[in-house]
Amino acid sequence: MFFLKGIPLWSQDCDFVISGTINDLHDGTPIYGAIISIEGSDNFAQTQENGFYILEGLCSGSVNLKIEHTECNPIKKKVSIDENAILDFELEHHINELEEIIISDNQLKGLNGNAKESRLNRDQIVRFSSQSLGDALTTLAGVSSLKTGNAIAKPMIHGMYGSRVGIVANGVRLRDQEWGSDHAPNIDLNAFQNVQLVKGAAALKYGGDTPGGIIVLSPPKIILGDSLFGQTIINAATNGGGGSLTSKLMKSTSNGYYINGQLTAKRFGDLTTPEYVLSNTGMKEINVSFKLGRSIVIKGWELNYSRFQNETGILRAAHIGNIQDLLRALESNIPLRIEPFTYGISAPKQQGLHQNIHLIYFNQFKDNFKWQLDYNYQVNTRKEFDVRRGVSVDIPAIDLKLQTQNVLANLKWNKTFSWEFEWGINAMLQDNFSNPNTGVKRLIPDYLKTELGSYFVGSYKPSNSFHWDWGIRLDQVDWDVQKYYGVSDWKTRGYDKVFPQFEVKETGTQILVNPKLKFINFAAQTGFSFEIGEQFETSFSYVLSQRSPNASELFSDGLHHSLATIEYGSLMLEKEISSKFLLSLSRTQGKLKGSVEPYFSRINNYIFIGPKGLQQTIRGAFPVWQYDATNALIWGVDASFDFNFSSQLNLDLNASYTRAQDLKNELPIINIPPFNSTQTIKYSSPKNRYDVEVVNHFVARQKRFPDLNFSVKTLSEGSIIEQLVDVSTPPKAYQNLDLFFSVYLGNPNKSKTILRFMIHNITQTKYRDYLNRMRFYANEIGRNFQFQLVYSY
Amino acid sequence: MVKTIILYTKQTLLFIFLISIFSCSKDTPEIVNEEELITTVELSFNTQGESEQKIRWETTAPNTAEIILKSNTEYEVQITFLDESDPGDIENINEEIIEEVDEHQVFFEFSGVTISYVQSDSDPLDSNQNPVFINTVWSTSVASSGIVRAFLIHEPTTKNSTTRNGFGGETDVSVDIPIRILEE
Repeated sequence: MFFLKGIPLWSQDCDFVISGTINDLHDGTPIYGAIISIEGSDNFAQTQENGFYILEGLCSGSVNLKIEHTECNPIKKKVSIDENAILDFELEHHINELEEIIISDNQLKGLNGNAKESRLNRDQIVRFSSQSLGDALTTLAGVSSLKTGNAIAKPMIHGMYGSRVGIVANGVRLRDQEWGSDHAPNIDLNAFQNVQLVKGAAALKYGGDTPGGIIVLSPPKIILGDSLFGQTIINAATNGGGGSLTSKLMKSTSNGYYINGQLTAKRFGDLTTPEYVLSNTGMKEINVSFKLGRSIVIKGWELNYSRFQNETGILRAAHIGNIQDLLRALESNIPLRIEPFTYGISAPKQQGLHQNIHLIYFNQFKDNFKWQLDYNYQVNTRKEFDVRRGVSVDIPAIDLKLQTQNVLANLKWNKTFSWEFEWGINAMLQDNFSNPNTGVKRLIPDYLKTELGSYFVGSYKPSNSFHWDWGIRLDQVDWDVQKYYGVSDWKTRGYDKVFPQFEVKETGTQILVNPKLKFINFAAQTGFSFEIGEQFETSFSYVLSQRSPNASELFSDGLHHSLATIEYGSLMLEKEISSKFLLSLSRTQGKLKGSVEPYFSRINNYIFIGPKGLQQTIRGAFPVWQYDATNALIWGVDASFDFNFSSQLNLDLNASYTRAQDLKNELPIINIPPFNSTQTIKYSSPKNRYDVEVVNHFVARQKRFPDLNFSVKTLSEGSIIEQLVDVSTPPKAYQNLDLFFSVYLGNPNKSKTILRFMIHNITQTKYRDYLNRMRFYANEIGRNFQFQLVYSY
Repeated sequence: MVKTIILYTKQTLLFIFLISIFSCSKDTPEIVNEEELITTVELSFNTQGESEQKIRWETTAPNTAEIILKSNTEYEVQITFLDESDPGDIENINEEIIEEVDEHQVFFEFSGVTISYVQSDSDPLDSNQNPVFINTVWSTSVASSGIVRAFLIHEPTTKNSTTRNGFGGETDVSVDIPIRILEE
């Protein structure tokens, strides 16, 4: 990785100066103590704490530069010198001694291969400190978020989300009821230093069931030796009248012990659009995490605990009783309930609590074998409160407790420097409990789910310019479910004929059944990447993934209050089989750097929810939606271009396009991100004392959507009229503008303190977004002034 | 090599130990006692010199019964909401509506027939003296036939309206019942 920010200065023989910074390839952090030398001479320089180096007394002509660091692979670069220049380098940082415990670096090597990945660096994570993971990820090309209001954002990769996208934090899959489209990942972005997006399923170690991709969150690196440092970030925002505080402290000692602690608190009141208050959209969140470990290079252990707790209000106007209410909401330009601003959160709302305990032990033997054992226990409780009649407001309508235990044993063999293999076994047991005291029919039943899997992955990297990796994985998934069906439901769907063996007992109008389902999933992946010359880099990867249906797709059973639909799962569903091809082409030419990444996936048995008639209830007729399978074709392109006008001025363009088609029904697939593009122009002051960034977002109108409209009969002035309920037409295209102004205080090379001023939606654009489930009810939020203080110590 | 085997054994034992933590069994889930259910809407009509007429709308029935009224007549009408999901424990939801009268509104819409209605003297009032329309007096006009749509509205945005849309709020009940007005 190399790019040049050339500044022509004056010239004089053997008096040239090269300077620049050396950063980590993966998270952009400066690398301290890297040596940059000129081959065949004794002229060298070492980077300072901020990654800055200066190499003086160079003669004109062509030289070979060598950049080395104890923890990195060395790189060489041939440059011809005829003027003073600024050369920046990025080194691939592998903290070898700590490879096992610092899963991030371990993964980086494995993941970095071919399945296309993008990443968020520490600075980007800091900017989104008061927001969510889903929001932060949308800055990457190809990533959108499926939202429910503003606070609930679910990451979406190439039009896929939920169970099709895996989230791996600290080396373990997050298990938090990810099946729900209005469930945001229960994770605090602030606890992590690096977020990587693997668009293929390259991380076979963590599962072979994510055709969309995997999001890998890595904690800060562990420093060997005595150290104590920390960071505090304070945010204050005008929209929602709230803010956040996050603070972390890390201590390590020379005998290998380390201890980390982190705390985040967020609080917002009702958000506002340019014209009105979005009533009941406040949120509060409090998270802590703690880590203790010891690493003495060849072996070590770590104990991790994290707790995430939040409460999020759902727009009050989005709670409706029947389709006539929905029609009324659709016909109104503004939400039907607008109350004065408040910090209070009342029903409808969600409460989530996620706790995670993780134990790691690793050991090395025979020099090139390493094994690691992970035990992980996650408890997720989720409560959803509805506006209810005659029931205490403290009783949730959905009350789920999901407990997951996972054991992972991994053996790694570095055969030679270029060949590397990993083999592992993973066992998971998941227990879902749906509290019956809600007084509402269970949406998701009680179940036990076990997963037993094994994988074998390998990579071959003979040089910096070629990389091949591959992997296979086999999983067995078993469901043991206990669910009550309405007797008539069970029979009308023909389950009594197909699954008589599941029936346990009939109690009045309900029947208890005990479905036992088994799925065998096979996943495989391979990819190549190579450089052609110095400017052109290409990679190709193929990923086969198989996913068994999730709890919602199999069993969901109930009414959705925000869309007035009755949703049913289907016991008939089979596993989803996806083949995905990704190609990446990137080229660096002078000041321009560009990459184009087309992808193509074909999914057999693609599970989706579609309309299945109407059901008469005491609130009138309701549209019924049921999960079903089809074959799908999803393809698209992500592109990004980076243009450095000068070392001060930079233009960055990102765009992505996705097209998805249901092949059986010959219809576009719902909720696919429309064409979108982001343009960023950034000016940095000469000594990096401040920078200004203007970001323009453009989102086109989604023209490809299935028509899921239905009609409702309303009575008006003594006669019955049939009216169309348009829940299909996507909102108009929009554009909005953000501004970031950052000031780096203190010693600019150390940048210990950052003051940042941000304005989102500067122009008060009034718009609605196709991927926001609240688009039927209200506009997106208006202008927001945000102030951020980042203090590192 | 021996060292390797020991390590493998240790690893396997630890693995087996952790798997054994997993073994647990699941209790039979309790049946959910559904709370906010309304299964039945009952309308009763009384006028002088006639016996009471009762029409029921039930979630489990085909609901073809027709209300038959005389033209140019005043009727005392009472609407009752019931939860009859457990035949042994029938709940009268009206009690709850009256208890939380500020948060509820009954409303009727007609098509094909001309009927006007006002609250009756026995109708409960909310804290702002607005009628809830559980007890109403209907005045029929000419002979005709059509339907009446009965609503129970939860948390209406206003309690003073003459249209369903005007009340806002969420619909808890919306049932259509055929109605015929005969020449007196």
